[in-house]
Amino acid sequence: MNDMLTIALSKGRLAEQAIELLEASGYDCAAAKEKSRKLILEDAESGLRFILAKPADVPTYVEYGAADIGVVGKDTLLEESRQLYEVIDLGFGACRMCVCGPASLAGKLDGIPNKRVATKYPHIARSYFEGEKKESVEIIKLNGSVELAPLIGLSEVIVDIVESGRTLRENGLDVLEVIADISARLVVNRVSMKMKAQSILPMLDAIRVQLSANKTKEEEENDAV
Amino acid sequence: MGNYRFHTPDGVSDTLPGDCLAKRGFETKLRGLFSSAGYQEIETPGIEYYDVYAAGNFVSQENLYKLADQEGRILALRYDGTVSAARLAATVFREVQPPLRLSYVGNMFRFRESGGGRQKEFTQAGVELLGVSSTEADAEVIALAISSALALGISDLQISLGQVEFFKGLMEEWGVPAEDAEEISREVDQKDQVALKKAADRLALRDDARETLLLLSSLYGTYEPLEILEKRVTGERARAALQNVREILGILEDYGYIRYVSVDFGMLRSLDYYTGMIFKGFTYEVGFPIISGGRYDQVVSAFGRDLSAVGFSLGINLAMIALRRQGREFPAAGADAIIGYSKEPNMRKAALSMADSLREEGLNVIVDCAGCGEEELETLADLRGIEQVIFLNASSCGCDTEEKI
Repeated sequence: MNDMLTIALSKGRLAEQAIELLEASGYDCAAAKEKSRKLILEDAESGLRFILAKPADVPTYVEYGAADIGVVGKDTLLEESRQLYEVIDLGFGACRMCVCGPASLAGKLDGIPNKRVATKYPHIARSYFEGEKKESVEIIKLNGSVELAPLIGLSEVIVDIVESGRTLRENGLDVLEVIADISARLVVNRVSMKMKAQSILPMLDAIRVQLSANKTKEEEENDAV
Repeated sequence: MGNYRFHTPDGVSDTLPGDCLAKRGFETKLRGLFSSAGYQEIETPGIEYYDVYAAGNFVSQENLYKLADQEGRILALRYDGTVSAARLAATVFREVQPPLRLSYVGNMFRFRESGGGRQKEFTQAGVELLGVSSTEADAEVIALAISSALALGISDLQISLGQVEFFKGLMEEWGVPAEDAEEISREVDQKDQVALKKAADRLALRDDARETLLLLSSLYGTYEPLEILEKRVTGERARAALQNVREILGILEDYGYIRYVSVDFGMLRSLDYYTGMIFKGFTYEVGFPIISGGRYDQVVSAFGRDLSAVGFSLGINLAMIALRRQGREFPAAGADAIIGYSKEPNMRKAALSMADSLREEGLNVIVDCAGCGEEELETLADLRGIEQVIFLNASSCGCDTEEKI
């Protein structure tokens, strides 16, 4: 049977960090580091094949079994809600999914009925307001520069990821509520986990070991300071 | 208007001759297998009342194809074989002494299913064993599921066996409220260790309970997970569930099927629907399980009859996708022979009677109805891969045949 493992990576910084981690865990990723415009990078010797996909598509590749393993942000996983095994928190790409708006709204959010919520993440926004807060909202789907929406009266609040909070502050907005902590996750197709357990399980173990080694190192460095 | 006339709707597809032939062959094999094990086939309507599915909250309404009848009642296209069989067991068959062994092969309709080989309309073959709550019944159904996959030629088969009762037992022992338990079961099923650690903190679980919870999604093997968990778990309900799995494995040894089975206590599904062991069947080259089954003792009671139930279904379309990607081909069968005839008297009658006798021998025979001459007939036969060409004319006395080998 085909024992090559296909790994879907989210194009960009997340892919670089994932490859770094895999290398440190003892996997040869020379193929993936090749500078080219190829979308499939295969290394027959190490038995790994990398595909570079748009982050929002990674869960789809993995759910359908086109890739066995994926590395993708928790924000994308929450938004796509696919049937996957979400096995490891890789720690990098950390940020928070938040409800943001003008600071004047702090503490007054629940008082606004049928709020308009602008976001790139309609699914997350809907399940937060309808599921957790039990309130009906109007979701306005935008594709970028979401911070604009409350500034020009398109919506009362936004739901978006917040890293440093700098963009928010520069636009006079604040974090009003935190929905979830976000970081990169390693996901596995449900069938691959069973059918290719012999190659997947050792890889997961190696990554876990490497992650905890990184953590220890970090702590030591912090202690030294 | 009319822009879609050349298309089929999303999530449904035509089945062309090669696939259709193979699919009917598979269905016939499975029907034979089920009936040889004493299961009687039923055919339930393609349309049910919506209430049938609403009865036990079995299916989320977003997943049903709904329409209305002339009286304004809500109807739903058949979602699966189990709920309809349960309705029958509680109504038409209410006087029948259990056990009941029922089987079905039919098309199911799911509004939101699509992608990766899944279709909104697909064919399932499955069985329901009603009125026996024994471990032997659990094992019989799992064994029949394995036999089904093998009968289709899927030998790279992995059956994952789980137990929702074990999980429910743990939750009860640890005093976890029902709504939290449902949430945690999803997190266990997704092997989401991050969320599970948070849940353990939130519920202030004891250290050993916390460890057990995190272990659920990381134990693999056949007997190993059992051995580890048997040492950790003390509650009666959870221990009974472990015992059930151990006994099932023992019986599957007797069936000679143990090599296909591994145990996964981290595999969990709707806690409201399932009441005991659950299982899924996987093979290479398709991203979704081809087999799904388990014990759901509350399904028939939603229709007012207290009857235990265990069953499985196999998705024939997904299985065929897997087989094709594993290298199997599904060629269409052409005719074995084609008979043409001249316009002379009595030739048609001779051709028809020759066709009859060849068909009786089991050949697939076409009688030309386009008025082809001998040469045209040869060309047509070449094109379609028909081996035997027969042309009747008066000079061949209506009985001489020209064979092309």
